[in-house]
Amino acid sequence: MAGTRRAEEEYDYLFKVVLIGDSGVGKSNLLSRFTRNEFCLESKSTIGVEFATRTLHVEGKIIKAQIWDTAGQERYRAITSAYYRGALGAVLVYDVSKPTTFDNISRWLKELRDHADANIRIMLVGNKTDLKHLRAVATDDAHKFAEAEGLSYIETSALEATNVEEAFQLILGDIYRAISKKPVASDEGGAGAAGGVKEGKTINVAAGDANSEKKQCCST
Amino acid sequence: MDEEYDVIVLGTGLKECIISGLLSVDGLKVLHMDRNDYYGGESTSLNLTKLWKRFKGNETAPEHLGVSKEYNVDMVPKFMMANGALVRVLIHTSVTKYLNFKAVDGSFVYNNGKIHKVPATDVEALKSNLMGLFEKRRARKFFIYVQDYEEDDPKSHEGLDLHKVTTREVISKYGLEDDTVDFIGHALALHRDDNYLDEPAIDTVKRMKLYAESLARFQGGSPYIYPLYGLAELPQAFARLSAVYGGTYMLNKAECKVEFDENGKAYGVTSEGETAKCKKVVCDPSYLPDKVKKVGRVARAICIMKHPIPDTKDSHSVQIILPKKQLKRKSDMYVFCCSYAHNVAPKGKFIAFVSTEAEADKPEIELKPGIDLLGPVEETFFDIYDRYEPTNTADEDNCFVTNSYDATTHFETTVKDVLALYSKITGKELDLSVDLNAASAAESEAA
Repeated sequence: MAGTRRAEEEYDYLFKVVLIGDSGVGKSNLLSRFTRNEFCLESKSTIGVEFATRTLHVEGKIIKAQIWDTAGQERYRAITSAYYRGALGAVLVYDVSKPTTFDNISRWLKELRDHADANIRIMLVGNKTDLKHLRAVATDDAHKFAEAEGLSYIETSALEATNVEEAFQLILGDIYRAISKKPVASDEGGAGAAGGVKEGKTINVAAGDANSEKKQCCST
Repeated sequence: MDEEYDVIVLGTGLKECIISGLLSVDGLKVLHMDRNDYYGGESTSLNLTKLWKRFKGNETAPEHLGVSKEYNVDMVPKFMMANGALVRVLIHTSVTKYLNFKAVDGSFVYNNGKIHKVPATDVEALKSNLMGLFEKRRARKFFIYVQDYEEDDPKSHEGLDLHKVTTREVISKYGLEDDTVDFIGHALALHRDDNYLDEPAIDTVKRMKLYAESLARFQGGSPYIYPLYGLAELPQAFARLSAVYGGTYMLNKAECKVEFDENGKAYGVTSEGETAKCKKVVCDPSYLPDKVKKVGRVARAICIMKHPIPDTKDSHSVQIILPKKQLKRKSDMYVFCCSYAHNVAPKGKFIAFVSTEAEADKPEIELKPGIDLLGPVEETFFDIYDRYEPTNTADEDNCFVTNSYDATTHFETTVKDVLALYSKITGKELDLSVDLNAASAAESEAA
């Protein structure tokens, strides 16, 4: 990705991962829990959230995960096709207490297939497992759906920090194993965007602007 | 949607998205809607399926052209001046973090039946066939004058008040030939007609300086840069900026109807039976046809090819300027080419555009000089579209209508329109002067 500088910290690969799913399923809190170990109880639609990064080890490699949030554009189905550019992984999130959000996963899958690279790794996440008495989507049903569609699957609670770490390890591992299988020329700083940048090189229009992430509103 | 906003923006073209982004950053509550299910409006980039649907109706694109979604065909082809106003806006808003750019390989000018590279270096200038040897010396003196000119430094003016003397007067002082004047005016200052000759020289000098600065910025083969995946990435980037600052986005909203009160002031927008209220409406011309007038037409050809344009040294991206004097018309013609190297087409494919201000009704005939430069073409689409300007007074109706895109091959006029509109809407000026220096300084530190 343009603007990424190796000097910040050493890593072997930079992976862009996008979060998608209905409004209110907890995408932003999954992101803030994973990258900053924060959870925000206010249920506002996503505002001020960009993308966040975290570096971790996956199968012996140092992976810098760059995880993008929707900025609230999914609320009225207005996510840009640009959002999916270069994404190596997608985290499809639904709320286990709201069947509609699971029913809409098929539509989000279609959006991914229309706009994202054909080889993108996709993980299905059922969030809000802390709402035990309100559960409305059975684990088995979601698991069957994921198997049928070829997705990884895990359930999480961003509020209780249950399985959040495991979820991102899962998708990043999927991505790493996928790119390890095929011989791709690595750009500086790791695998380039899916499809890659062809002849010539991208130029940095605004050096020094990289990674100016916004702060979240509260923390545990 | 039954809610209240400060501003409702209709149409997700580049101008509307920049406005939306700027207003959201200012803290205004913005609702942005488009009748299409994609971003970009008239300035979008289409995949192959959508391109075919738009120009060929119900036919299906031939298989040999490749995968539909690998195409991002610009409907308003332009390059960005590397030191130009749009880059300043991108840096000012930090929208660059959503985008990737490449330098454009070359800029060419059509002269006496051939294309010539617009010199990118002193050495190229000396080798170029565009000027004879003695003319090169005269031109060099003029270029040095332009290069050294600083508005704040009277000594650099050499006795000429460029705000008063015309371009013609300055040029005659340096004794330049007509062909050189034509080259400078159209290939460097990027004028589309010859009105500039009788206007104060300051505009032309500034444009020449912009060209030189843009050329030096990334030291590519031309003064232009271009985003990977096509120009529709630009409105989408500004839309994301707006959303990050709280802007609400809705696509696929049929029949966005602006509502007016008894005093003729806009107070909201109705779509699908719901009305959102607002203090101001910003839109592209198509949403308020009663408040715009036709000011011209652009003729355009879009061509899919499997080779670079001949005589461009296998460039993956080029601009070719065909000055009007060479073609005996009123306006310049432009050829713009990008390719799979910019992720706007599948591997091995090139997309070329020929456009000009329309002076006739048949683009096939009118655009022929540009199309003849392309070599063999796999597919061609022709189009003429109208250009509009607003006729309303925003103070009276709270409507702020953008101008249509012109045939220029860069975004300077686009940003000028946007900044003027932003000032009208907010009552304040956007200061973009500091940012580029800061960015350059940051770049120096990083080096």
